Amino acid sequence: MPHDADPGRAPADLGREPGDRPRDPAARLRDHAAIERLAEDLVPALTAKLGASGLGELEIREGGWRVRLRLPAEAHATARRPSAPARPGAAGGSSRLVQPAPAAPAGPAAATRPPAVPDRAVSVQAAPQPAPGGHEHAGHRAVAVSPAVGFYRPRTGLTPGAKVRAGDRLGVVDVLGIPHDVVAPIDGLLGAALVEPGDPVEYGQEIVMVERLDLTVAAAGPVRATPDVPAAPPIAAPGGATR
Amino acid sequence: MIERVLIANRGEIAVRILRACRALGLGAVVAYSEADRESLAAQLADEAICIGPADAKRSYLSPSAIISAAVVTGCDAIHPGYGFLAEDAGFAEAVTAHGLTFVGPSAQVLERFASKEATRRLLAAHGLPTIPGSEGLLADDGHAIAEAARIGYPVLIKPSAGGGGTGMRMVRTRRELEAALRVCRSEARAAFGDDSLYLEKWLEDNRHVEIQVVVDRYGHGVHLGDRDCSVQRRHQKLVEEAPTPALGPADRAELAERAIRAVVAAGYENIGTLEFLVDRDGRFYFIEINCRIQVEHPVTEALTGIDLVATQLRIAAGEPLGFSQADVGFAGHAVELRITAEDPAHEFRPQAGTVERLLVPGGPGIRFDSHLYAGYEVPPYYDSLLGKLVAWGPDRPSAIARARVALDELQVTGVITNRAFLRALVGHEAFVGGHVTTNLIDRVGSASFLAAASRA
Repeated sequence: MPHDADPGRAPADLGREPGDRPRDPAARLRDHAAIERLAEDLVPALTAKLGASGLGELEIREGGWRVRLRLPAEAHATARRPSAPARPGAAGGSSRLVQPAPAAPAGPAAATRPPAVPDRAVSVQAAPQPAPGGHEHAGHRAVAVSPAVGFYRPRTGLTPGAKVRAGDRLGVVDVLGIPHDVVAPIDGLLGAALVEPGDPVEYGQEIVMVERLDLTVAAAGPVRATPDVPAAPPIAAPGGATR
Repeated sequence: MIERVLIANRGEIAVRILRACRALGLGAVVAYSEADRESLAAQLADEAICIGPADAKRSYLSPSAIISAAVVTGCDAIHPGYGFLAEDAGFAEAVTAHGLTFVGPSAQVLERFASKEATRRLLAAHGLPTIPGSEGLLADDGHAIAEAARIGYPVLIKPSAGGGGTGMRMVRTRRELEAALRVCRSEARAAFGDDSLYLEKWLEDNRHVEIQVVVDRYGHGVHLGDRDCSVQRRHQKLVEEAPTPALGPADRAELAERAIRAVVAAGYENIGTLEFLVDRDGRFYFIEINCRIQVEHPVTEALTGIDLVATQLRIAAGEPLGFSQADVGFAGHAVELRITAEDPAHEFRPQAGTVERLLVPGGPGIRFDSHLYAGYEVPPYYDSLLGKLVAWGPDRPSAIARARVALDELQVTGVITNRAFLRALVGHEAFVGGHVTTNLIDRVGSASFLAAASRA
């Protein structure tokens, strides 16, 4: 895991600020409920959106809450890199096989939820864990790779954000008329497609991202004194991968 | 018509094929395994495509992976190189069934010449003398023992499929035969998926001489002379040269003419090689045909000036040969030395590692066909050939002298090679005197060459 030393990596963090005070029990309960919803629904959906968008950082405001997700710089760069390195003197080389994934539209679903939680800033990142199979991408995501040389067809009805289990068929690579399954390397949410339907793919080529589900979100957070002001200091993004 | 070729091989031959494609103005796509991602051929190619993992069964030996790669990259032909699927009739048929051109003989021709035993009978019927051997394939141990007794010891056990010395053993007694049959069967099964064996009479002090043939699809064929591949270690060729020092010009011409007549009559097409054993009295016996480009083809190119791989591509594309026997000239002498990643000091154990430094020899008449570059990592998965050093000269002594100089110049560090062994070999009196027989190295012993090498 070369990313472990990444200084830009932040653990799951609810942005406890200096000077934060404890709250009354009722407010705390509301917070817990909100955090639960956040961890269960909102964050996974946003994580998938982030993966699908190709962006380095995503921030959603909802009432007094602001949720910001940021990919570690290296992971973001890795996510956009074709599996085969470019070759000197190989104009139109195997990188021809890798099409840039289209940017997914911003997810309105999360943004239009009714305000239900107090003003709070949340910065969430997944804990790094090795993925069983596929290519590992900085722990919080893995990528399903092609099992063969052929033409890729995604499974119909499977869209970014869908929940998938490790081993689920995400699509097939058609090898002379015989389908070879592209499977999810981990449990998670379907992320960005790195190739278009019908694209030629080579053996081992990265096909589609799967965002890890087991996000670590601490369940207790402080009240921030001033609403709508950046809670945590902006996290440095080394390498300038955010675009 | 061929416009874009998928090269379904690796190492030096992938680079060689790529160069021939380029010279003909054809597109060249290299299919590589994960272990060959950084190979020279992949780097030089118009496009390179990963077809599978290092395990050859799932990459270079996988017909579906290779054909799919050709389809995906828009190729209209597949060149199989040598080894792997080069002589696989089923593969050639599948390639054709997908509307692609197989660069080699058609599936029907490969099928006809697939069994060495059947090929011996076929070409014997067309006038080639063959070595006394078993009637048909060996049914069981009892059959083998009976046939060996009839032929007379020593005999050579040979697998019907494949080549390269795998599954081959020379035995001098019934006891040795019984022990070796099991080993040969399992080796042949593991290497070729076919454990059928046959026997051949072993000719003492024989030489290995082969004839290069070129036949277009319209039955027009010429021979491109002979090559002598007598310098072998355990049936693996180490040094090849042309013409053979074993035969005079008249005998060489007769052998080559009989060979081309027989294969054309038997319906062969594309380029191929007929291998013969020549005994100490100069009698020759046909042993097998190789339906592919061969490792040692550059020595023939050096003498004739004909690009064999380009010729192979042109024939596969349906072009007529365009020249006749009278147009083929033979100039001078050429020697090829196979540089391998093998440690002569340790039973020629295959080596892997990263090439740190590479100095390539040059000068008049020197050609080095290789996929090496400084920084290249020799993977442990495939055969150990690193390159072929070919030296041409107006006569045999000058070719050998140039070969010696070139071997001295060649430097490969980071990976142990057989360079010093070859250097000792080309300085050996038996080689210099042109008296090499196929058992030379095993008879004189690697140790003696090595001792000479360490003194050198």
